[in-house]
Amino acid sequence: MNLLNTLIAGVSIGAIYSLIAFALILVWRSTRVVNFAQAGQAAFSTYVGLTIEKAVGNYWLALIGAILAGVIVGAFVEVVVVRFIVKRATSAATATVAPVIAMLGLLGIFQGVMGLIWGGEYQPYPTAFAREGMSIAGNQIPFSQFDLFVLLTVVVAMSISAVIFQRTSLGLSMRAAAFAPEVTRLSGIRVSRIRTLGWAFAGGAGGLAGVLVAPTTFIAPNSFDLLLVFGFTAAVIGGLDSLIGGVLGGLALGIGLSVVTGYLGGSYTFMTAFVLLIVILLVRPQGILGARGARRA
Amino acid sequence: MHVVHKPSTGKRITLALFIALILFVASNFVDEYRIFQGAQVAAYLVGIISIVLLTGFSGQITLGQGAFMAVGAYSAAIVVQEFALPIWLTFFIAVIAAALFGAIIGISAGRLSGPYLAGATLAFAVGIPALANAIPILGGEQGLSFDIGFAPGKYADTVSPYKWLFWICALCAIIAVVIAVNLTSSGMGREWRAVRAHETAAALSGINPARSKVLAFTVSSGFAGLAGVSFSATVGLVSPSGFTLSLSFLLLTGAILGGISHISGALGGAFIIVIIPTIFEAWTEEASLGVATYLPGIIVSALLLLSIALAPEGPSEALHKLRHRGHRKP
Repeated sequence: MNLLNTLIAGVSIGAIYSLIAFALILVWRSTRVVNFAQAGQAAFSTYVGLTIEKAVGNYWLALIGAILAGVIVGAFVEVVVVRFIVKRATSAATATVAPVIAMLGLLGIFQGVMGLIWGGEYQPYPTAFAREGMSIAGNQIPFSQFDLFVLLTVVVAMSISAVIFQRTSLGLSMRAAAFAPEVTRLSGIRVSRIRTLGWAFAGGAGGLAGVLVAPTTFIAPNSFDLLLVFGFTAAVIGGLDSLIGGVLGGLALGIGLSVVTGYLGGSYTFMTAFVLLIVILLVRPQGILGARGARRA
Repeated sequence: MHVVHKPSTGKRITLALFIALILFVASNFVDEYRIFQGAQVAAYLVGIISIVLLTGFSGQITLGQGAFMAVGAYSAAIVVQEFALPIWLTFFIAVIAAALFGAIIGISAGRLSGPYLAGATLAFAVGIPALANAIPILGGEQGLSFDIGFAPGKYADTVSPYKWLFWICALCAIIAVVIAVNLTSSGMGREWRAVRAHETAAALSGINPARSKVLAFTVSSGFAGLAGVSFSATVGLVSPSGFTLSLSFLLLTGAILGGISHISGALGGAFIIVIIPTIFEAWTEEASLGVATYLPGIIVSALLLLSIALAPEGPSEALHKLRHRGHRKP
């Protein structure tokens, strides 16, 4: 029974890792940049949500506000910064490292701006649901209403994304632009716009993830750094090119870390994730579901 | 590349001794706070060199150099605490420990590239506090004290602690610069650059790229270890909060702003990252605490972003190209 509880709790946090992995993979597929600024974007969106919550007192309005903020910030980052960096910094000796460093610079700006606006303290984020475990037939289990809400929200968000990607012409354009940008451009699709859309989409996913994780981690300018690392690990587990892989990777990571935390203690959580990341990168760099040779791209 | 008219090792050492003399004399004429900042510059300088060696010469990105600094600093603090070794010995131990650690990480990192290496080193840097809390001997959040104390013997009264600190850090930095310059103009440095420029071509010329990358990681980590112990000496403490992600970012910024492909740029980079917060402290004295705390970080990050966008090899390199327009490099 105890193991079952741990597994269920892992699914809920794993769902949040899945969202971050989803955001990272979406950007990676379209732009070949790992968006390390995602931690900053997500935190910024969450702060916007918190501000709305404080002003209006409505959880759902705040949730929608945070997702919208994520969408806008994502699109803004792509149009203002990424486009320029990718175009400019490809000829120098630092070509391979330039986008990564640029993303870090962006993360630094985000964290600084958040500190200026909202201060550096950890602030609690409210929830609309009970955080205590639900009781089933008189037994209290660690799975709370909030966990259920997180899980359902992520499932709904992923389902909507899946429908958009698989069933709409917009989704087809996005997949085409990620797969073969040059051919897609020749087919009359504005790849740069599709790319902006991908970043916006990823930003929205990050904002959602931020609101879902903030009641647990609290919110501070750099409180999502760890979430970013776990999201990256999840993305790598799935292979950076596979959205489904990233989602499954997030769930697997959440469950795995939950088991480690439950049986060995919280201080081993990070070490486990780190070792897992290194082992996966060495043994199967293309990820569990990724195509062979993806790492070289 | 341009290796023809480089001075010999002997000349470099003479030059270094001369600079050391100038610094020694100069340290008697500036106020205590400036001396302390000088020590900071020296510590950052070594850290930036470690990034220049790894990223600029060997082409491997690191977002977690602060973590290797932490390895050096923690090993120094532990040997002081457990075995009461003399302080000067701990600097060597820090270098060796960090280099060993870098070799282990490098063996795995040597097989990674681009974003994967970036992500792995980032994870490493983010995890330092978690690791420090998981291993009891590291002293948890409070960390371990690391005090280089006073100047020995009869000088203890006349030489201020800051001056003593500066001398030690500056000495480390000068030694590091001499070694780094010699390394990069040696065959090894050329091998690193060859692997960075074109791995396959380098392999066809008889270089073992994997070995070269691991070696670069090891050497760079050794430098980072020295930087870590110098840095801890300026703080007087080895704790997780000293080796945050922002330290790694700050050093990377210094390396990029100074010019990632030259050792000489590291000094400029170190000056910039020490001076910028100082300038803003003066400017924002009347402004709120928040502005004073966060504005320097924003400015430094914005500089990093601008530098990457406008002059990917650093502003100094861009100026160099501007000056030598028309002369095509061989």
